[in-house]
Amino acid sequence: MNLRFHWMLPKAGEVALKTAQEAARYRLESRDDDSPSAVPDMDGWVKFARSAEEAGIDSVLISFSRYEPEPLMSACALGRATTKLKFIVAYRLGLVQPPSFVQQVNTLSALIGGRVSLNIVAGSSRAEQHGYGDFFEHDARYARAGEFLAICHSFWRGDERVDFDGKHYRVEGGQINTPFVAPDRTAPEIYVSGHSEAAVRLACTQGSCWLRVADTPETLRPLVARAREGGVGVCLRMGVICRPTREEAISAAEALLPYDGVGNQKRSPTINDDSQMYREATTIADVAEGWLNRSLWTGLVPYYSPVWTTLLGTPEELAEAFLEYKKIGVSEFILSGCPEVDEVVIFGREVLPLVREAERRQEKHAGISP
Amino acid sequence: MKLRFHWMFPKGGEVAMKTAQETARVFTNTRTSPAALPDMEGWVKFARSAEDAGIESVLFSFSRYEPDTLISACAMGRATTKLKYIAAYRSGFLQPATFVQQVNTLSALIGGRVALNIVAGSSAAEQRGYGDFLEHDERYARAGEFLAICNAFWRGDEEVHFDGQYYRVEGGKINTPFVAPDRTAPEIYVSGHSEPAVRLALAQGSCWLRLIDTPEKLRPSVRRARESGVEVCLRLGVICRPTHEEALRAAAALLPGEEVGRQERSRLNKSDSRHFKEALATADIAEGWMNRNLWAGLVPYYGSSSVTLVGSPEELAEVFLEYKDVGVTQFIISGLPKLDEMVIFGREILPLIRKAEQRERVPS
Repeated sequence: MNLRFHWMLPKAGEVALKTAQEAARYRLESRDDDSPSAVPDMDGWVKFARSAEEAGIDSVLISFSRYEPEPLMSACALGRATTKLKFIVAYRLGLVQPPSFVQQVNTLSALIGGRVSLNIVAGSSRAEQHGYGDFFEHDARYARAGEFLAICHSFWRGDERVDFDGKHYRVEGGQINTPFVAPDRTAPEIYVSGHSEAAVRLACTQGSCWLRVADTPETLRPLVARAREGGVGVCLRMGVICRPTREEAISAAEALLPYDGVGNQKRSPTINDDSQMYREATTIADVAEGWLNRSLWTGLVPYYSPVWTTLLGTPEELAEAFLEYKKIGVSEFILSGCPEVDEVVIFGREVLPLVREAERRQEKHAGISP
Repeated sequence: MKLRFHWMFPKGGEVAMKTAQETARVFTNTRTSPAALPDMEGWVKFARSAEDAGIESVLFSFSRYEPDTLISACAMGRATTKLKYIAAYRSGFLQPATFVQQVNTLSALIGGRVALNIVAGSSAAEQRGYGDFLEHDERYARAGEFLAICNAFWRGDEEVHFDGQYYRVEGGKINTPFVAPDRTAPEIYVSGHSEPAVRLALAQGSCWLRLIDTPEKLRPSVRRARESGVEVCLRLGVICRPTHEEALRAAAALLPGEEVGRQERSRLNKSDSRHFKEALATADIAEGWMNRNLWAGLVPYYGSSSVTLVGSPEELAEVFLEYKDVGVTQFIISGLPKLDEMVIFGREILPLIRKAEQRERVPS
């Protein structure tokens, strides 16, 4: 099966920015009260969506936080303005009752031809969760998320009536008449993200794909194998910087480091204090100037966040790196660039054709071998 | 101020339906009914007609039998430029901060053309299917906390803190603001006839929404709302024909067959809403005629919101102005079928009302 490539939806207002430095700074400041990134940006987003469709991107991920527009609404507006691109909507569980959530997701699916998947996030920082009215701690959030998804699945299976009596949710005679509508599915794909043991278990029991931040193929191998044995796909999040030569890629990456002073103030990993992914990230960036191997660099992580673990190099190097991940069982990627729209165009033009060509060769080879 | 007129939004598939009977809930509540799916083609057609007819907003009703109201309003708002959307929402199903984030995002996407109709709940069975096990009065107490938190976000409080019986929020903050040309928060219609509902409307709403009754009956409760600074909006049906007699015949023709009527009645009897019970009782007296123009005869078949004004354009224009005299400011109207009756309303009744309102403003 071909690798699937998704992309991050740019922050609102980001597409109009000219340089990589402006875009990086814009993201750093996107949590400020006066950042325009809090208001939907249909012009910029539609422009990006068209570029992503042309580049061969499958879906875009719309992230969830109190600093951004609500992702189900954004997906609805964008889905109505596009025809091909799919939308992976991030959602924090625990903020809504499962039947209402299913009703919203199903309604959305019917309005945009089923082009919606979900990225289930159990939570992030305590402060942000408390601001949403959620006072559960890390592991309890995953237990609750398990019940939440079990109820959702019961609706999506088309159970005549949904009855559930759990520790966190109770539903009696649940019925939502609006079905999930898609050409080829009766329920959305569900990406469960997180690095903790609880996250992986939840992905394997209730999800269709485990989503995590990139690491080296060697480190990931056992984890990926376990998820694949659990019957789910594995999707990696990473940044991408592709340039004609490796040197150009490295200097483009280094140019994204924030200016002196600013960077130190804005070191971000401690913000999400109740996330294992963020705790791990505080340790990895300090080794070997952040180089995990020849192509994988965590130098930006301390300033931006763990999802900025970046794959960088020439088109050939990157194509090869993606295929190595494929060998160990990774099936999908959610990529990000700076600025998003420039990097997605480069990716579609330079990297993806090489990956597809290699996949065709492999398939042919597999076809004639005994 | 001029009277404001809104219309009930048709269910999925309804715009293409030929007869009123097809729209009865015994049919539209079934799993295979097109009412369960969004109907952009029919809806956009209806919305264009509503804009042409001079209708300000349409109300999306909320139930487990219909598409989600906020998502539908987003799609419809992106497809229109003038019409506003009143999205009904049951307040116990999600955290207020999340709700505010959705509503604010929606407002920014559709030029602020969104208002809310907060409903505390409907039948106990439907509420339980949504995971809500609170009783009637408690649901209103919770809705009060819910709206208090929402209003704190909309006031632009630096950080929202709330420690109540049903909700707790600490350092709440939603960066996406409510975006509209003339408002920083949505209009909030609170519906319900019970004392807790009225109190909630007065404390946290901008408008009390209730079923129509005769002007005499409504006078004291309307005055109470207006004195608290809250508007009053009535829900009603309209049947308008060139003469009173033709309107009566059109009304009688809407009564469905016995079997549909029996099923509807038994469905409505299960509700624990005061709305429904009051309306059903009214339908049983004097063949449902509450005065010369106000008829409750359809209530057993089409629900409590089908108390209907019946008459000629001149009669109905006059009736609307009588409600205005009592202090009513807005109406959410329904017709059977919705589209045809709305076109008649815009062509025949509304111009008469606007003319009379203009006369009022010029002192003789």
